[in-house]
Amino acid sequence: MALPLPPGLTPPEIAFICEMELVTIIPRQRLEGLELLGGPLKPLNPPQRASLPLWLALLLKRQRRANIIPPPWLSPDSLAAILQFETESSPDAFSPPPRLPPPPSSTTIPLSSPFLPSSTADAPADALPYHWLELGSMLLEAAPDDFDDADEVRKLLRGLREARMAKLRQGVEVLDAGGGFKMNGVGGMELGEARSFITGVVDGLRKIGKSREEARRERERENGYSPSQNYEDDEMDMR
Amino acid sequence: MDIDDLLAEVAVDTTPQETRDLQALTRAWVAERVAPEMLAWPGSLMERVLERVRRQIELVEDQTGSMDPKTNFKLIVIQTELERFKFLVRSFLRSRLRKIDAHPLHILALHTDADEMHPLLSPAEHQYLTSHQTLLSTHYASSFLSQFPSSLQRLDDTTGGISMVDKPDEDAAVFVRVLRDVGEVAVEGTEKRFEMKRGDVWKMYDITPGVAGSDRWARDEGQNAVHSGERTK
Amino acid sequence: MTYYDVDAILTDAQKVPCTFELTVPGLGFLEGNMSGDIKHGSKVELPLWLGEMLALSQSLSTGTPLVSLDHPPALSPRVLNALKADARTVDLRALVPHFYNLGARVLELFEEEEMIEVLSDSFKARAAVIADQAHNPRGALGEGADFMRGLDENERQLFRASHDSAKAVRTWMTDIKT
Repeated sequence: MALPLPPGLTPPEIAFICEMELVTIIPRQRLEGLELLGGPLKPLNPPQRASLPLWLALLLKRQRRANIIPPPWLSPDSLAAILQFETESSPDAFSPPPRLPPPPSSTTIPLSSPFLPSSTADAPADALPYHWLELGSMLLEAAPDDFDDADEVRKLLRGLREARMAKLRQGVEVLDAGGGFKMNGVGGMELGEARSFITGVVDGLRKIGKSREEARRERERENGYSPSQNYEDDEMDMR
Repeated sequence: MDIDDLLAEVAVDTTPQETRDLQALTRAWVAERVAPEMLAWPGSLMERVLERVRRQIELVEDQTGSMDPKTNFKLIVIQTELERFKFLVRSFLRSRLRKIDAHPLHILALHTDADEMHPLLSPAEHQYLTSHQTLLSTHYASSFLSQFPSSLQRLDDTTGGISMVDKPDEDAAVFVRVLRDVGEVAVEGTEKRFEMKRGDVWKMYDITPGVAGSDRWARDEGQNAVHSGERTK
Repeated sequence: MTYYDVDAILTDAQKVPCTFELTVPGLGFLEGNMSGDIKHGSKVELPLWLGEMLALSQSLSTGTPLVSLDHPPALSPRVLNALKADARTVDLRALVPHFYNLGARVLELFEEEEMIEVLSDSFKARAAVIADQAHNPRGALGEGADFMRGLDENERQLFRASHDSAKAVRTWMTDIKT
């Protein structure tokens, strides 16, 4: 049966992807190694830390078989610093995403979220990873006792969400920058929420400007197109 | 270059094949969910994944009934993961079915033109499309088309300036994430250029390749269309 | 435009003012004269698809087009000036439900850089308000109600899509709590 959903991911689907992110746990019980479909799972030996996909960590947590160590960026200090950056230092742009690991060799598939470990216990503390909102919300719900100050973290997450959504909504002006614009630092759930609006505006403007676009293509077919050397960086303030 | 070629290249990688397949399947699913057009069928990836899913189901069936609480929890983990895989495969196949239903004739033409080594549709999808189309046209013919003048009975007429064969909006805007440095990209008909670097997230439309080369640059390089976005061009 | 696109079909059914440049025998029914000819200089309102077809057909001998098209009233200079003054106060829906689509079609027939600018700027200015309303549904009922009633069809779809995606995220946030 065909899928009834339009293109674009729904919040539960974005959360499903987020559940593949690795997090660090401290097992409270032993678990033998398992051959899973997504690759082998190493044996769990308390109190040795282990990194597991979030879905498994949540399953262990619910059964009280493990505690989860929240990633360093999900601490009151880090979130407060990032929130200050988002509201004061950079009122228009998102805070930069975490630094990428060194580029893979040309013979490996470049990994990207959720397969880059950005939420384990040794992840950087100074940047919000792609799935920050989903991962933070799910951990706060399932493992509030694993946080030092869950209420403060919850409050800061809400503040960040509001500050950043306002930026996304105010960004209408850049949407007709021909070709595209950079949105570095944006989060998965945020894109899920803003996607239909951004796409609707871009496609609406594209329709209005279509006649001009077609006239230009027509001229180019007649004159032959020679790219100019002018380099204009179209980087918008929505980084 | 499709996912299988990419996988062939990484034989030296130490990551287990199972893990790489999960990454590839996730990427294929996201891309299929967000792209307005049909993407090529990842044949060997799907063969491997479905075979493993089948074996895992057998394993679960064999071990169900075991009363040992330790084995029991292992089974819960295995089953939870199995359900996640089944969701991925099912959602992937169903979003492809949605596209087949929406633009059957367009997709059939693309499939017919495609390279045999890299078919657009799986054999089952192709069979579904053709049988479904046959049923539909028989139904249309018997319920109303046969009463029209013969010149008005076609469903794939292209005369009159507008084709009856519908296709998705191929210029729709998309979100992409850049997986490898792409280099400079030019916007057709303008002097705009921009540099696309690994890790960037872009919203883009109406792009033609600049120095990046092949017109399939983004399909190879940028295709991990962020978890959102309409298409990866 | 695709074959089965209802919005495109409705847009093409919009009437536009047409002036006949030639006398055409037997077309009198277009202005209610069932048996006669339509005279050179007659002004009639015709659906866009028909007006366009006639404007593109030329007399074989002189090369003059059969009719000349004029801008529909919804895209008159008066409307464009009002949009330039403050796009957020114009009731587009009262002008024509498919306002921007009609604009895009008219722009295919007339080359008018300024109209593209006015329509793009209006769409952007109004989209910003739509985004706020979509996240603040109470506003749409209160003082925003007039603005919301005046949205054209594309804008309504934009509002619905943004409203639904905001709601989907809120629903997810609530669901994980259970």
